[in-house]
Amino acid sequence: MIKKTFKVEDMTCTNCAMKLESLEDTLEGVREINASYHKLEMVIEYDESKLSDEQIVAAVKKKGYTAVVK
Amino acid sequence: MTKNRKQSIDPVVIVTIGVVFLAIAMALIAFSSGSSIAGDASTTSQLMVAFITGLTTGGLSCLAVQGGLLASSLAHQIEQDYVGQVASGKNMKKTTVSHTSSAFPILLFLISKIVAYTLLGALLGLVGSYLTLSPMTRAMLMILIGVFMIGNALRMFNVHPIFRFFSIEPPSFIKRYIRKTAKGTDTATPVFLGALTVLIPCGVTQAMMATALGTGSAGMGAALMFAFTLGTSPVFFVIAYLTTELGSKLEKFFMRFVAVLVLILGFVTLDGGLNLIGSPLSFQNLTRNWFPSQSESNSVAVSPQQPISADGLILNVNNDGYFPTTLKAQAGKDFTLNLITNETYSCARDFVIPALDYYELLPDTGTVQVNIPAQEKGSTLFFTCSMGMYTGQIVFE
Repeated sequence: MIKKTFKVEDMTCTNCAMKLESLEDTLEGVREINASYHKLEMVIEYDESKLSDEQIVAAVKKKGYTAVVK
Repeated sequence: MTKNRKQSIDPVVIVTIGVVFLAIAMALIAFSSGSSIAGDASTTSQLMVAFITGLTTGGLSCLAVQGGLLASSLAHQIEQDYVGQVASGKNMKKTTVSHTSSAFPILLFLISKIVAYTLLGALLGLVGSYLTLSPMTRAMLMILIGVFMIGNALRMFNVHPIFRFFSIEPPSFIKRYIRKTAKGTDTATPVFLGALTVLIPCGVTQAMMATALGTGSAGMGAALMFAFTLGTSPVFFVIAYLTTELGSKLEKFFMRFVAVLVLILGFVTLDGGLNLIGSPLSFQNLTRNWFPSQSESNSVAVSPQQPISADGLILNVNNDGYFPTTLKAQAGKDFTLNLITNETYSCARDFVIPALDYYELLPDTGTVQVNIPAQEKGSTLFFTCSMGMYTGQIVFE
């Protein structure tokens, strides 16, 4: 398991952070996601053997946001 | 091949119309001038403003933050219902299931939310009552609230990322708990969710909460939040129901409309605070001299209840403010200011002269004499009501 931080600078309110955190329920290999509207970033703890950075970025894009590895 | 389909009114439409009329009726009854709940006219107007704010902007703003939570809860519930229907062999469209089964949980959600926010309003008002709410303290609070609201509006406009710090963000564990609770499908879930929304207030709600704090009264704080949350309910209900049909463009338009109204409210609140500290920079104090016809000194008194001081000035304190708004006095000499009320019930009765630290709740009918100490030539003494709404000035020549 690794922990990685992604910058998500197009969040516009607390609800955006909650939407991103809901990915921990749907994305396989994710243990925990902590997203912050104030910090404009999300910290994701995941199993790198099951999930890649590109898959995370794609999942965030599907939610309507743009994630970039910090 | 023809199908015989009964035309029936969607029960959600009936409930929606009912909620709208019930909210308006309750507001009219509770906030009518003769109601004991309403109290005096200034309380009534404050509660009406809170209700209208909720009705026009709060519902939309709340929906942006809390609507997704409710929608995901409903979607989960709809999925469970649909799976159940399919498993039992009933051939029903998913949309049919969603319309009939979403109205009741939305209603439960809203009722629970109203109760939770009313209790929160009482708590905030109680906390505020322990602060020494002198006019100066109230002014500082109003200025902070105004700045907070303006910052929130600028955040909604995406003016600059720095404004995101004007939004209250709950800790992750609370957000996670709320999200996981939203997955429940029993009747208690929407009730629980509605109560939990106090932890994720939207921008407009945060502004209203700050105002409740500023009331300094548990009762008034509760009434304010009740009025506001009740106002948000019809819009929230209708749009939550239609939420799948609202395109993202329409939602974006509504949010900009909300941001404009919050910005206006913020400037009005900030301006009130500036008036309360006697600042010459408030909108009224800056622009008063643009309308010289309102300037008049020693104007005609309106049936004073007691003798007027011979060397005094007269200020009529009416329900709609002070007349004249500008008084002219001789510099370097003490004089008496006669404050005359005649069936005056508005906040104009709460008379404040910030520079002299003078505050008095005037009788609804009568004359109160205030000794004004000598002032320098060219100086100005501002006066205002305790809400910073009605203002005026004494110019020393």
